[in-house]
Amino acid sequence: VQKMGVNFTVSNKDTVKSSDVLFLAVKPPIIPFILEEVGPDIEPRHIVVSCAAGVTINSIEKKLSTFCPTPKVIRCMTNTPVIVREGATVYATGTHADVEDGKLLEQLMASVGFCTEVEEDLIDAVTGLSGSGPAYAFTALDALADGGVKMGLPRRLAVRLGAQALLGAAKMLLESEQHPGQLKDNVCSPGGATIHALHFLESGGFRSLLINAVEASCIRTRELQYLADQEKISPAAIKKTLLDKVKLESPSLSVASASKVSLFTSKSKKN
Amino acid sequence: SGKVPASNVLASAPSDKNLGAWRELGCRTTHCNLEVVYRSTLVFLATKPHILPAVLEEIRPAVGSQHIVVSLVAGVTIQTLQRLLPPGTKVLRIMPNLPCVVQAGAMVFSRGSNAGDEEAALLKSLLSSCGLCEEVPESYIDIHTGLSGSGVAYVYLFAEALAEGAVKMGMPGALASRIAAQTLLGAAKMLLETGEHPAKLRGDVCTPGGTTIYALHQLEKGALRATVMNAVEAATNRACDMAKD
Repeated sequence: VQKMGVNFTVSNKDTVKSSDVLFLAVKPPIIPFILEEVGPDIEPRHIVVSCAAGVTINSIEKKLSTFCPTPKVIRCMTNTPVIVREGATVYATGTHADVEDGKLLEQLMASVGFCTEVEEDLIDAVTGLSGSGPAYAFTALDALADGGVKMGLPRRLAVRLGAQALLGAAKMLLESEQHPGQLKDNVCSPGGATIHALHFLESGGFRSLLINAVEASCIRTRELQYLADQEKISPAAIKKTLLDKVKLESPSLSVASASKVSLFTSKSKKN
Repeated sequence: SGKVPASNVLASAPSDKNLGAWRELGCRTTHCNLEVVYRSTLVFLATKPHILPAVLEEIRPAVGSQHIVVSLVAGVTIQTLQRLLPPGTKVLRIMPNLPCVVQAGAMVFSRGSNAGDEEAALLKSLLSSCGLCEEVPESYIDIHTGLSGSGVAYVYLFAEALAEGAVKMGMPGALASRIAAQTLLGAAKMLLETGEHPAKLRGDVCTPGGTTIYALHQLEKGALRATVMNAVEAATNRACDMAKD
């Protein structure tokens, strides 16, 4: 991060004080702790953007409202290909976030891929589709490469060709007005290789597997959200949070055992 | 449909069993195949496959260059027909399907070596009144059997299952059956009239999180698509095998 010329700090507080748009990029169970920590420093100008899966706008606004009456919150769901600027991002604006705040986020995220606004209740479905989607694609690519290798291709070439095939197909679909079913037909010459292969996919219930996957991911996201709303956070997560807090406040201190940590934490609170 | 006056149609059969229906339409009937050939230019062969060779032997002496012979006999190739008829005979082979009887049929035909554009055009124009009629290479005829000849039965099966689903959910059977049939008719009509890809039409019906997408998921889980492909393949292969016999 520092190599890219970005300012780096180990203090969450400093980050809040010198920024207008705050991206909370921690794991969902940690969010409540971070909000507690930075809450006092949140001012009306701040836009708090949460990318945490399953964490509702409502839960963030509730936590922050003890510190600030009208916190601007935007909830966002993106995916890993933002790394190569081909991300898929959706966002939903909270009660006090203005249209311009949403547009600002959209502008930012559009620089790393596709970004659009949605109603918050669709975010779980988006998670199931494009959030988890890259994993489905990686699995498919791994298998396609295996197929290539089985039929005699060297592994590296098989991976390269498989990835390019999916990339190209996706690009064709995005740039075409045609339905994917039509595009599929266009590749299938009568009695040819492709239709034979597709028959195998259909026999294996390929389509239903994909539908099942999106559904499972979406449902699990909802489950996690429900658990989070109940504030049922695992003790392991809590322990880790405290350890992280210690590391953040005194980077030079090495953390050894659990007993040492608790002593230090209570001492620092007194300060 | 009035293209040909009934009195110009002569039907021949060994017994009177089926001839009554022809007479009721105003057609003339006979028990003599040769008579049909002498008195007609366009001759349709509609026997069972194992009977055809004998019939061809019988009429062969009377077949001339003015005749157009159209075979509806399943599994008998143009090659075989031309072999059993005088050289130079204009032969065409056609494969209809059952709904021809309600003028909503699907027919494909191929021409033999001596049948020309005129004969093909004549056949197409006559039969279009029974439904869709297209000229194809002979190799498509067995596929047509798998798709549409037998295909009608797949649709009946699907209609039955749809109705049963409705009955399970509490609808009376007769009503469910009529609605199932109308649903298939309507969907088919939309396909034919809009010319849109079926996948697009399917998508148009699926509102997000709605009933249709839930149902389609069940169909995909059951690998319906692959099963249907298997059915078409099996029927086509069987048609090929039978033709070889």
